[in-house]
This record gives sequence, C-alpha cells and structure tokens, in this order.
Amino acid sequence: MAEMKANAAGRSVRIRHRGRGSQVWIYLGKLLRMFVYQNDWKVLPMSALVAGLVGLVVRRRFFINMEGTLMGAFALTCVAIWNGCFNSIQVICRERGIIKREHRSGMHISSYVFAHMAYQALLCLMQTGVTMYVTRLTGVQYPAEGLFTSWLIVDIGISVFLISFAADMLSLLVSALARTTTTAMTIMPFVLIFQLVFSGGMLTLPAWSEIFSHFTISNYGLKVICSQADYNNRPLVTAWNTLERMRDQEVGGSFTLGQVLDLLQQTDNPAVAEIRAKQLGRVFTLGEVKEKLDGSESYARLKQKKVARRLTLGDLSRLFLNAEGTKQLRSIKVGDFSLEDLVRTLVRLPGMQKVLEIGVTPEMTVGEVLDKLQVEQLLANYSNVELGGVTTVGEAADAVAANPDTERYRDRSITVKTTVGKLLDLAGEDRVKELIQRKAAEASFNPDYENSADNIIANWICLIGFALLYVFLATVILEFIDRDKR
Amino acid sequence: MFKKSGVDPRWALVPCARSYMLARCAEREPEGRVTSVAEFFVVIIRVLTSTEVMAYVLHALKDYSGLSTLMLFLDVVGVAVSIVYVVYWFRVITGLIEVYGVRRRWMVLWIFAEYVPALIWGWSDKYQPAWKVEDIREALSRVATSGSVADTGDGLTVNLKERTVTEFFQKKILLRDIHMNIPMGHMVLLLGGSGAGKTTFLNAVNGYEKADAQVLLNSRNLYKQYKKMQYEIGFVPQQELMRGKDSVKATLMDAARLRMPFDVPASERKQRVEDVMEIFGLKPLEGTLVDKLSGGQKKRVSIAMEFISNPSLFILDEPDSGLDGVMARELMNQLRKIADTGKIVIVITHTPDRVIDLFDDVIVLAKDSARTGRLAFYGSIEKARAFFGKQSMEEIVKGINSVAEGGEGRADEFIARYAEVQHG
Repeated sequence: MAEMKANAAGRSVRIRHRGRGSQVWIYLGKLLRMFVYQNDWKVLPMSALVAGLVGLVVRRRFFINMEGTLMGAFALTCVAIWNGCFNSIQVICRERGIIKREHRSGMHISSYVFAHMAYQALLCLMQTGVTMYVTRLTGVQYPAEGLFTSWLIVDIGISVFLISFAADMLSLLVSALARTTTTAMTIMPFVLIFQLVFSGGMLTLPAWSEIFSHFTISNYGLKVICSQADYNNRPLVTAWNTLERMRDQEVGGSFTLGQVLDLLQQTDNPAVAEIRAKQLGRVFTLGEVKEKLDGSESYARLKQKKVARRLTLGDLSRLFLNAEGTKQLRSIKVGDFSLEDLVRTLVRLPGMQKVLEIGVTPEMTVGEVLDKLQVEQLLANYSNVELGGVTTVGEAADAVAANPDTERYRDRSITVKTTVGKLLDLAGEDRVKELIQRKAAEASFNPDYENSADNIIANWICLIGFALLYVFLATVILEFIDRDKR
Repeated sequence: MFKKSGVDPRWALVPCARSYMLARCAEREPEGRVTSVAEFFVVIIRVLTSTEVMAYVLHALKDYSGLSTLMLFLDVVGVAVSIVYVVYWFRVITGLIEVYGVRRRWMVLWIFAEYVPALIWGWSDKYQPAWKVEDIREALSRVATSGSVADTGDGLTVNLKERTVTEFFQKKILLRDIHMNIPMGHMVLLLGGSGAGKTTFLNAVNGYEKADAQVLLNSRNLYKQYKKMQYEIGFVPQQELMRGKDSVKATLMDAARLRMPFDVPASERKQRVEDVMEIFGLKPLEGTLVDKLSGGQKKRVSIAMEFISNPSLFILDEPDSGLDGVMARELMNQLRKIADTGKIVIVITHTPDRVIDLFDDVIVLAKDSARTGRLAFYGSIEKARAFFGKQSMEEIVKGINSVAEGGEGRADEFIARYAEVQHG
C-alpha cells in the first residue's frame, strides 16, 4: 500500500503501509495470543478425550481384519473431521464487526484469512499429535513401518492432519458465509452429516448418490487411511464369525434321487466338477477281504444262516400234484389211472402220513456250503490277488444315471437333517474358515484402498486441494460477495 | 384489498407476486419476500412431481432408475419449504389483521379459505387499512431537490446524489442530495432521528460503502484514491469492536502496525502507542484485557485505535453512548482538542445538548416522506437554531421526526427550505 506525500524539502516521498504478507504476521501473533487467552487451547484436551473414546472402541480390531480396519479408519476420519470443523466454525462470524472495522482501517482480507489458515494448521497439527498419541495409549496397535516413514503412525498422522485441516478450512468457509454464530452452528450438523453419510465406505450408497462422495473430505480421508492400513490384505472375518455363531443351527432338507443325479450331471459347474473328480473306492487284495470277513460279526451271523431246508416225501408229492411243470407228467396213464390219481390215492391211504414225513434231502447252513465249496481256503491261497478298481463320483453317477432301472427310483425322496457345526466338522473347520475368509476378502477387495504410494499421495493431494479451495472461497466471499454488507 | 392499500390490483392475478404484494399491504415486506420465494419453490416442486410431468419424463428418459429417489428428495425439500411458507404466511396474516384492525379470529378464515376474507375485506367499506403502500416515485418527486457545492480546496467536500441498495428486485434510496463543505479544524455534530441514515451517511463519506457521490478531502477524491487515503480517515464505530481477550497495549500495537506507515521505525511506533495511551489515559491499563475494562475505558481504547494513525478526518458514531455526563464531557473535550489540531471531527450523539458548546457545526439529516435520508441543514450551531426556530438540538430532532415517532413531522418542510437556502 503506497501513497505520495510531500516531504520537508517539497519532494514527493512514497508512503507505504503494510502489505499482505506483513499483515499475516500481525494476525498470526494476535491469534496465537488468543490461543492462550481466548481458550482456544481447550480444543487440545477435547481432542484427547474424543480420540480416547474412539481408541477404546476400535483398538482390538484396527489393523487386524478388514472390518476392524474400515471401522478404525472411519473412526479416525470422523475424529479428524470433528476436530477440524469445531476449530474454526465460529472464528470469522463471531468477529464480523471487528473484521469490518479492521478492513476499513487497511486490513487485507486475504492476509486475515491466510493468518487463520496458518493458525488453524498449527492447531490441527497439535490436535493430530494428541490424537495419535492417545489412540496409541488406548491400545491401538499401529503396524511398524509405513510407506513414507519408518513409522506407520506418522504416515497415518499426516493423513489425519490433512483431513482435519481440510475440514477446518471447510468450516472456515461456513463461518465466512454465516452472518452469526447461531447460523454457523445451525449449518454445522448438516455439513457433518453430509460428510459422514457420503464418506462412501461405511454406508452403502445408492448409485445415483455416489457422485456426492467425490465432494466429501471423509471419502478421501477414509480411502487414504484404509490404504495405509493395508485394508485389502486383511482377512474378512464377518462371514466366518457369522457361520461360527450358527454352529448349533439345524439345517437340512428333502430332495429326490433325480435331483441329485441331475446336479451331478452338470459338468460345466466348477463346484460339481470338483465333486465329480473325487475318487471312490480303491484296489484291495483277497487277503484283505478275508481279514475283513474274519473280523466281521455280520459275516459270522451270515455263516449260521440256513440256506437249504430238509425236504420230505410229502413236500415232493405236493410239488408233483400242484406244480405247473408236472402237469404233463401227472397225465400219464398207468392202466386205467393217471399218475396223478395214483399219487392222490397213495397219499390218502391210512398210515401214509408217517411215510410222507420221511426226509429225502439234508439241512445246510451258509457256512457248510462255503466249507463244501472251500471258499475260505481259496481266499487264503490267493490272498495276494488284487481286486476292484479306482472310480470317480462322476463315473459312478454317470453309470447310475445310464441304468434304465434308475428311472424307477428318480422320485424317491431323501431327507437330510443335521447342524451347521456337524457340517463344518465334516468339511474340516480350519479348511472352511480359511476358505471363507479368503474368498470373502477377495470379494471385498477395493481398488481405492490399494496400499501404494501413488494412491496415498493422490488422496493427500485431493485433501490439500479441498483445503485450498475452501480457503479461496472463504476469501472470495469475504472480499467480494460480502463487500457491501460487511 | 390491493386497491385499498394503493397496490395495482392486477398483481392479484400473478401467483407468488400476489403474496408478496399482500405482505406489503400488511406492512410486512421482508416476510413477503420469503413467502413469495417459498411459494414459488413449492409451486415448482409440485409441477415437477405432478403426474403429467412424471409421465412425460418417464416417456423421455431411457434410464430412470434414479428418478423415484429424485422425486422423493424433491418431496422432502417440498415439505421443508412448505413449513417455511406456512410460518411466514402466518406472519403476513398477522400483519394484515393489525393493519385492518380486526379481531384475531379472522386468522382461521385466512388460513383455511383465504379468498373469502380477502373478498369481504376488499368489497366492504367497513374494512379499511390503517396503512397504505406508498408510491415511491410520487413521494420522491414531491420532495425533489438538486444542486451541489463547489470544492474549496480545504476540508471535506461532499456531493452525494444518492445512496441506494437493491433488495428483492427493488431499488431503495437510503440517502439523497446531500451536499456540504466542512472546513478543516471543525468539530461537527451529526444529528438526525432514528432511521435517518446517519451511519449510512458516515459510511458513504469515509468511502467504505460507496454512494453515487463525490467526496473530496483536501481536494483529493476519496472514492478514486480510497486505498491510499483510507489511512487518513479514522472511523470509530458505535460498538466496541475489539478483541476482548487481547490486552490494551497489544490491541494498540496491532492497530499501530496496521494503520501506521510501514517504514516507521519500531521505536517510533512504540512511542506513538505510548503517547496515545497517555492522551486517552490508558497507560495504567496497558496490561489489562479489553474484556475487563469499563464501558468508558473501552470507548477510549476504541478511539485510540483510530487516533493512532493521526487521521485528518475523524468520524465517531455515538462515542458517548453508555457514558455518564462527566465522562461524556471529558471525552468530547478530548475530541475538541483533536479538532483544534486542524482535523475534521464528525460525531454522532444522541445527547448533544450537554456538549453542544464544543461543536462548530451541525449536520441535520431527516427522513423525508419517501423514507429517504435527506439533508435538512448544515451550518453553525447558531444558524441551526435560527433555521429551525428551536433552542436545543433535541427540539430540532423532534421537529424533523415523524408524528408516529412523537415528532412534529416537518422533515419535508425543512428539507425543501434548506435546499432553497443552500442552492437558491
């Protein structure tokens, strides 16, 4: 600022007043004094309390699994936005009259806003330090090494600072827009709700509203912290935990043999193909068969079973008189009588009852038959002979399906009833757990949370961009839009 | 009703504008703005969400998956805006009931069937409004003045044609035809009733809120060279606009850094702060926080902040408000001393008579019948007494104030007379 004025010798001399850069230091000094006298320092213990509460909630799962990491990142983002927003929401609107007076006296709006920007950056830096320290104190286990520094806590601290600072500048803009502190505090909840709802991580947004998340600090904050916390390489435990809680739940259902066979014919289904490839049975020797038979109680019972009963003359005569095959034989004439008449007459004769009870064949058990056939002897002699072959579920299913007789049994219903726990035990709990966590994590993979330096820097730049945009808008609003009313 | 209130009846046929005009009839113009804007949005939302428009949109769009959500959102906005409309419409009705002087039970009818009371009040001679919307052009022509003053090369020359603001598409004239020349070294009293535009005039004079005017300070155009000349003007606002949690000395040091030339050595700047604290009796309070000071002490700090740059034009908006007689007198004495150093000091005060002997001149601003701030007089105290035929300043104010404000309502008369005296 300069003007011309005549000096004692009558020559024009240039009078300069403080420029923008110099004025920044005046206001920065003023704000630092305010930090002590105007209770601005209270934001530091407040941020410690907020960080402590959040730390106690997220400490056990942050950096452990996907859900805990997302929740922890969201919580840290919220803390940073909360701190930032409430730092500066009233700073401009509460001294609107003072700004007007000082602007009248030569204050540059840009110097005033820049001084606030520098002061708030300092405040955010201190709050970030407190927040990171307190979260660590409450038990959040930050992994050892970051992408940019040797301590991940410092890397994440940079992100928290940038989120906090961007939010701070946003509320500085709101403060420049609002005429009174009451108006500013009325607008603030809407700003916070907008930030939280459209963070794009915690709440599933409908497609039409996703565009809003591109304009929220929380979105970039969440992305950068999730990236740094290596979200994509953490296991997703919700699916497995849910299954675990369902152990005692009964499951089951009825289905037909036809449905099972049809399912097993779906060769293009990868899951079915895996089942079809499973092997059934194995090669075994006759010696193993004999061992099994000798040790089997059911085989012992089978050997006791009678396979032939004793036949009597009465049985033979009834067979002769009633069987269809003996019809021709029965009609043979012997003199005036047929053989049938002759036999009927004979069986009716008195005293023939005892004759008819006379046995004509011996009684035999399975064991006696096997002994006669020397089966066990044969098994012992040929104990090294291999029997059987390897087949797959698919081959067996195809064979059953190809059998014309199977058609009769296709509608036969099969009912299965069991518990989730038993199924898990059957399939192998550890195997299922590993599989579910891996598959769920693959499904939850988010390219926005990629743990790469490029991704992190891009999000940092976005946050800085937001902060600068808000500062610029606040300056424009105070400098031009609000000019006549100020 | 519009005809009775002096509004063109054709406005009754225009949706949204109708409610605004009705609010003007009810002497509730600000509420009318909100009502008409809210009504406009409600109508737009209703049209957008109407079945016919929806059918057309569904037909035109290939992908309308998000349309139902958008409609729901519009409905929510519609509900919010409707609430605003109802509240402000209620205020307008209350105003109408007051203007027509009828019982409050009419409100029920206005809420549920507005056309019925509107027709009854409009047709029946029994119902007459106590307030009419004034034709601003007619009023302006009734109290028209013109002219200007020539720059004398010394002091403050003001030739203000008008100071206007535009609110809700309407131009409002806040000040009009104010011409004067104040010599250096004069202490001037700025007098006027409430709403006469005293603060607006001072803001226009110091160049912060520019008017259609030419303001010359020692022949230099303040408006054109505002950035250079703003340090030559000290404006002390009515309220103590200072940061309460800063000490007196720190406040004055910052004021010195901001207002004094950059090349002034730090030691000289500190000395100036010490001198100003001495002049205004603030030395014993230098380490005290501004919040801890009494009203009078705060006033002194506030004045000292502006005085620190040694301005040529010193403007004070009610510096004695909240001060007792003794303190006010003491403060005015200090201002007199400042004026005696060759500076112009312009002061607004509501208790002028106790310190009138300290002033050289008086500016009287009055609100004319078009509600515009006008110059009713500028000259010495003695001439003012003769011009208005009053002995005290308070009587002068009473003479120019409207009857409704307890005055004599002679503003238009004095404005016209002074214009005649000033410009012939």
